[in-house]
Amino acid sequence: MFDRIGEIEMIGDMVSTQETYGKTLVELGVKNKDIFALEADLMRCSGSKLFQDRYPDRHIQVGIAEQNLVGVAAGLAAMGRIPYASTFANFLTQRACDQIVMSLAYNNFNVKLVGSYAGITSGNNGGTHIAVCDIAITRSIPNMKVLDPGDSNEFRQAIIATSKDEGPTYIRQANGPMKTIFDNSHKFEIGKGYKFGNGKDITLISAGITTSLAMDALVALEKDNIKARIVHLPTLKPADSVLIIECAKATGALLTIENHSIFGGLGGLVSEIVSKNYPVIIDNIGLNDTWGLNAPFNFQLEYFGFTVENIIKKSKKLISRK
Amino acid sequence: MDRKIEKLKKIANKIRINTFHSITKAGGGHYGGCLSLSEILTVLYFDSMNLDPKKLKDDSRDRFILSKGHGGPALYATLSARGYIPLSSLDELDVPLSKFPKHIDRLKLDAIDVSSGALGQGLSIAVGMAISLKQQKKSNNVYIVLGDGECNSGQVWEAAMAASKYHLNNIIAIIDNNTYQLDGPTKTIMPLEPIEEKWKAFGWKTFNSDGHNIELLIETINKAKEEKSKPAIIIANTTKGKGISFMENATYWHAGTLSKEQLNQCLIELERLK
Repeated sequence: MFDRIGEIEMIGDMVSTQETYGKTLVELGVKNKDIFALEADLMRCSGSKLFQDRYPDRHIQVGIAEQNLVGVAAGLAAMGRIPYASTFANFLTQRACDQIVMSLAYNNFNVKLVGSYAGITSGNNGGTHIAVCDIAITRSIPNMKVLDPGDSNEFRQAIIATSKDEGPTYIRQANGPMKTIFDNSHKFEIGKGYKFGNGKDITLISAGITTSLAMDALVALEKDNIKARIVHLPTLKPADSVLIIECAKATGALLTIENHSIFGGLGGLVSEIVSKNYPVIIDNIGLNDTWGLNAPFNFQLEYFGFTVENIIKKSKKLISRK
Repeated sequence: MDRKIEKLKKIANKIRINTFHSITKAGGGHYGGCLSLSEILTVLYFDSMNLDPKKLKDDSRDRFILSKGHGGPALYATLSARGYIPLSSLDELDVPLSKFPKHIDRLKLDAIDVSSGALGQGLSIAVGMAISLKQQKKSNNVYIVLGDGECNSGQVWEAAMAASKYHLNNIIAIIDNNTYQLDGPTKTIMPLEPIEEKWKAFGWKTFNSDGHNIELLIETINKAKEEKSKPAIIIANTTKGKGISFMENATYWHAGTLSKEQLNQCLIELERLK
């Protein structure tokens, strides 16, 4: 079962983030006896069972009690341990918001929160299960870092990087399978944005599952003779403002694409950065002041405009307004 | 033994007096819930807990969480009496940007293990600490003082279940059961009785003590330490505002400011404690 631990997935592969999470925690847990995994009765959704099988004394199950989940993680961190506490992104950041603020962030404890089934990847579970404001919540909390990796390889690297980093961090975990878009040459660093392409007409800014879509759109735009570039922001806080400003200057138009409300997430942070430094025209694709749907993931992608066609349409409109 | 108890009684009175003066100098504050803590904190810091003010971050020390974070001034007075901080630092309570906010902050003061203030969260943190210690087969204990009012909070009971599930006999919790909270008597705000039966039902070993009787507190905590399989909780029955007659069991004095006449009366009453 563990023979593939540490292997890099191939580009184009569809990979379960659950498998990645479990394997990566085991990979870390072998070397680092301070790694703990905590669950609130959604272990099968995060994938930490692999870690539980290997290290039962470092796997804590608190039941459906998210506030206690975060508090227990804080206590482990107070003792110098490195807890990864997981449950659905919405329950974690909404039910346990005060515990994240007070028990974790105010104490600046070294806890890693993993919000599974992020955004519309929750799929057919309905609106109660779809986190639309988890980034807005966590991003506004002092001391917190916020990550939304673009594929399983980057998710794996993000888990490893956070284990070596100090301080409270929120990591989004899409409900897999996720399309692999990064190979071995991709080196994830907390706080770093990644640019793909050098087009000067428009910048597509994405994070998490939307970067794969932006890459498809980049090719399609090229066919329409629109020269675009992508800024992939797996770290939403601290965001790579240098790269964002550089691309605002180079292209004069930004289109953000996010699996989240357009308020307070990627669209919000990009607007905050460019409006203070180099104002350019911006549009957003994301959930516009609304809930997720009781519909399959692919249906929701279409419904909320996470399509190549919508990116082309919005890009053309933005370019015409420059 | 008698000499030791007499000495601790004197220390508790000193802590009560210093707590009062520091809150008063700050212009008022949480007199009630601080004055009910004097004996509990004295026994913890001068008898029960394994600690050394000279080895602040020694890994073998017992950990302490003051979950009722508004008891900060009482804890500062205790830390001062125990030699962690100078007596003069009690004058810095609530001074802008000082190390001594009324709700304790671990990032400001090294002697604090956990910041608190948002009630109901401390026991979960104690559970995490205790799990860590047990997993490493260490013998340190985790001590926590909760307010009775904060047991209104659902998270306390989530943590109580978890402590029982993981057989955390290295947690010794003490409830400062002063029977009052900000808006009034606990029994009218949200009745907690039968509180001991509640904790028993959640799988804890329970004890009862007069929270102002030093000899009894020591004896009860020693019994709690001997518990081998369950987390232990001591319901320490206290008087809110203990030591100042008009503050005792008076809702207003959860937090308040003294008039000049009241202050004079307080000084006379505190003089009798010396």
